[in-house]
Amino acid sequence: MHDRLRVTDAVRAYGPGTGVLGATLRVEPGLVHALVGLNGAGKTTLMRAVLAMVRLDSGSVEIGGVPVERLHAAAWGRVGHLLDRPFAYPELRVRANLEVAARLRGLTAAAVPGAVDAAIADMGIGGYERVRAARLSKGNRQRLGLAAALVADPDLVVLDEPTDALDPAGVIALRETLRRRAARGAGVLVSSHHLDEVARIAGRISVMNRGRIIGMLDPAGAELERAFFDLVLRDDERGGTKGPRP
Amino acid sequence: MKGLRAAIRVEARKAVTARVLQASALLLVIGTGVLGAALTAAIEAGNEQIAAKLGPAAATTGWPLMLGTVTQIVAAAALLAFGIALSWVFGREFTDGTVYGLFALPVTRASQTAAKLIVHFGWIVLTAAALTGAVTALGLVIGLGAPDTAAAAGLGRLFLLCAMSGLVAAPAAWAATLGRGPMAGIATTIGLIALAQIAAIALPSVSAWTPIAVPALWALRPDAVAVAQLALVPAFALAFAAVTARTWSRMQLDH
Repeated sequence: MHDRLRVTDAVRAYGPGTGVLGATLRVEPGLVHALVGLNGAGKTTLMRAVLAMVRLDSGSVEIGGVPVERLHAAAWGRVGHLLDRPFAYPELRVRANLEVAARLRGLTAAAVPGAVDAAIADMGIGGYERVRAARLSKGNRQRLGLAAALVADPDLVVLDEPTDALDPAGVIALRETLRRRAARGAGVLVSSHHLDEVARIAGRISVMNRGRIIGMLDPAGAELERAFFDLVLRDDERGGTKGPRP
Repeated sequence: MKGLRAAIRVEARKAVTARVLQASALLLVIGTGVLGAALTAAIEAGNEQIAAKLGPAAATTGWPLMLGTVTQIVAAAALLAFGIALSWVFGREFTDGTVYGLFALPVTRASQTAAKLIVHFGWIVLTAAALTGAVTALGLVIGLGAPDTAAAAGLGRLFLLCAMSGLVAAPAAWAATLGRGPMAGIATTIGLIALAQIAAIALPSVSAWTPIAVPALWALRPDAVAVAQLALVPAFALAFAAVTARTWSRMQLDH
């Protein structure tokens, strides 16, 4: 079986040391792959390249073995994502927003109600179905955005800082649904600043710094934070980066 | 166009609940109708100041006066209302942050653009029909009597002027896309209104060949405009629809 996602020597440079500068990673079926790194490491740009939101200067991104630039439109229906802000139209109610997300992901009219019910249950927003998105708290809007990303039961899930604004119950709901989806064969790429959190969910943790994947962390390791900063510091010393690093 | 039907359903659903669209249509229909009826009633009652402001149209009476007055208002107001609406429809995806969710989908962004414009077209036809209905009703209310054949033709032209103004607003969609927010589209709309006025006043011989000016010219003086000149309006709208779709298709989200 093809990797759900394969990124090879991806370059999208915005200037010296900025952007994605030769990143390589794989997300196999059944794997939750976490991407950790400091602000400005290139995580979001890499995810944008994966989702064809930016074009690479060089290198490649393949989804299910097919380069993204040649990916058939229908195949995007098997990809769920949440980057930047949740996909939520303020004037639409929660359920209507999810119906819109489901239709845009290619679900038939008959399949939409069941898919929306499942997504609402997964993210625990059943009590807000008839509430307009504009009236939701930041955390519930994030839950709605996650439900929209997962509504079409994707094979590949790409989430940038998905636990932002989530309360502890929301974090658990997300963790459980991603685990279930991975167990069914989905591949998940998730970025986070919270090392403890990714250690609980990820089967693999890649550390990104200065636009490249500079090493892996052992999710079962005891000193995750120390290992992370050791990797980043060594990479910064190799690259001659100076600046306010802890 | 992959997923066009799904995109049209989605855009129609968004449009139905959009307060910006409801408010702009309501203001256009009620504002134009009431203003037209009030000005007509004032001139019929002999108000010379208002007659002086309206120029040659004030020399007429009854339905021709009402239609001449309303047409002058609609020529600018409809373009403004539809331009603001179109700017919002495209620009809000950036300001609401929903643009990220419009990528990596089976429904292509060209289809999404086409769907937005198709729904906009449906909405302008409905608004134009409501406007024409409101003007007819208010004409009856102020005692103009049942419209004769000439007045009915004038009401038909008013409907088409309103609908064509919605088409002429198409550059606002492109500007809101390039400017990544509604403001660029609204500024473009104001520019279009100014250009249309300048073309009509400064270059009357050329204005019939200017898509942004020809609908109003035709509504006021149908004999001065040829069918080929009117056909420029949909061609103009389609050209801007095509460049807007192309811009959305090639868009990158890196700033």
